[in-house]
Amino acid sequence: MLAESVMTKDLIAAHVGEPVGDVLQRMRKHKLRMLPVLNDKKIAVGVVSTFSILEKIVPSYIASGDLEQVSFAPDIGFLKTHYDQVIYKKIEEVMDDAPLLVKHDESLLSTAAALTSLDRHEYALVIDDDESLVGIISSGDILDYLRNMKVNDKNDA
Amino acid sequence: MHNSAHIIHSSMPFGLDATWVAVSILLIIYAVIMVEKFNRAVLSLLGAGLMILCGVLNQQQAVAGIDFNTIGLLTGMMVIVAISQKTGMFQYVAIKAAKVVKGEPWGILVMLSLVTAVFSALLDNVTTVLLIAPVTLLITDALAVRPYPYLFALILASNIGGTSTLIGDPPNIMIGSAAHLSFYDFLTNLMPIIPVIFIVVITVIWLMFGSDLKTTDEKKELIMQFDEGAAIKDVPLLRKSLFVLFAVISGFTAAHALHLEPATIAMFGAALLLLLQTWGEPLHDKDHAYEAIMAEVEWTTIFFFVGLFIIVTGVEHTGVIGMLAEKTLTLTGGNFAATTAAILWVSAIASALIDNIPFVATMIPLIQSMAPTFGGQEALIPLWWALALGACLGGNGSLIGASANLIVAGFAQRAGHPIAFLSFMKHAFALMILTILISHAYLYLRYLS
Repeated sequence: MLAESVMTKDLIAAHVGEPVGDVLQRMRKHKLRMLPVLNDKKIAVGVVSTFSILEKIVPSYIASGDLEQVSFAPDIGFLKTHYDQVIYKKIEEVMDDAPLLVKHDESLLSTAAALTSLDRHEYALVIDDDESLVGIISSGDILDYLRNMKVNDKNDA
Repeated sequence: MHNSAHIIHSSMPFGLDATWVAVSILLIIYAVIMVEKFNRAVLSLLGAGLMILCGVLNQQQAVAGIDFNTIGLLTGMMVIVAISQKTGMFQYVAIKAAKVVKGEPWGILVMLSLVTAVFSALLDNVTTVLLIAPVTLLITDALAVRPYPYLFALILASNIGGTSTLIGDPPNIMIGSAAHLSFYDFLTNLMPIIPVIFIVVITVIWLMFGSDLKTTDEKKELIMQFDEGAAIKDVPLLRKSLFVLFAVISGFTAAHALHLEPATIAMFGAALLLLLQTWGEPLHDKDHAYEAIMAEVEWTTIFFFVGLFIIVTGVEHTGVIGMLAEKTLTLTGGNFAATTAAILWVSAIASALIDNIPFVATMIPLIQSMAPTFGGQEALIPLWWALALGACLGGNGSLIGASANLIVAGFAQRAGHPIAFLSFMKHAFALMILTILISHAYLYLRYLS
């Protein structure tokens, strides 16, 4: 089984230069937690997720793990201040610019292996031979595929 | 390291001259370290390997050149710190310090600097700032004040505090080991001037930034709501860590009387804390914990030292360091006061611009070879204090002067308040010169007048 058979093809994307607030609104509207970020040539240059945005709202000295826990601190109110600043930033400033890319003809096993072993990505962007984005494949997509797979299809996965 | 320098006449490949080969290896490796494009441990090990491959040293001489007292002390303290830092005691002390002054921004700056100086004196500077800088940023965020004055003070306090003890800064560990100076010697000779330097520096920082540090009563109240008790993550481990830290520091103080080297005490303390840390846990968990702690030891720094000791031993064997010492003595006219001053000032300027560890590694045999001129090793002691003061305080001269400076700069950068190299140097270099002037006066009054 190939990645392209399992991936989601209905692509909703963010575009380089868009404000984070607009992208968040789109994510909310489509009930999505991540979007690929495309440049002018429709090439995927990153992934933005609710997690990557929250990571920019939490101060770097906490998000990076330098301060392992802050249970000793009261809520000092900077999350809202940072949120109000981050929503006006351009999406490329908050996206993960090293998304996991898999080729459309990659096997399902290889795709699952890449998701779980290479820095534990939740999503992979599926690209064609011209490196254009053709779909997204998530850990959930693979599990759904496996659930629906008939017993005699086993060898495909 | 060897005290005696002698010219070797071993056969060199291609008829090369041993002196030129050794000096070239040292200069090339030091130059590439300065460029900071390659890992300094890899470079120093390459240089050490070249010293042997080129025939300057054989392997036996190279290994004999490694100062295992320095290596053991560094490694032992790294293990103790790696375990202790997990308790949250550093955060506890930092928050407590901020609350003692009722959340007053200037008071917090003084207290955090003091905490940094004390921790840097007892532990390594890099760990201290790694643990104190994030709490500082959280506090400045809570106060809504500019973090720069705090981070600036943290850098200076860490290098000043580190100067005061044998274990405070790697140059002191190397000096203490080579010159057989004990923890107690450092306490009685360097410590007395450190509070003076600290107060002067903090006063200048107040003149520079004092008027900027203003906040509201609500923000101060926010600081008072911090719960330092919640910062302690592991009370049993805290007790064990404090017990071992206290025992090790007491051991350092008594080491001379007990005829023990500091490395023995540090390594024993490390082994004891490793044992206590996982006491009563299943073997599998113990092994896992040991592996995790060993992974936190800065092996690259340890290997950097190993390579460096071999490189310097190679150059020392060619006799060139002895020649350099003679030249220095010619320049200072063999005058002890002038030589002390020269070592202090050259060390300070050099340490502001280059890594002070290779600098001190080279200076040690140079100073040792001055012994005959000044009447033996005992007579050299003020020169060692000059080297320690210059090399440690010199680290304040620029952002690249010490590893701790770069760590703080990294935090500032990530937090969106980058510390510019030149604007830092404009203030810090002048302050560094001021601290060296104070040190010069101290050395003159105590040892030379």
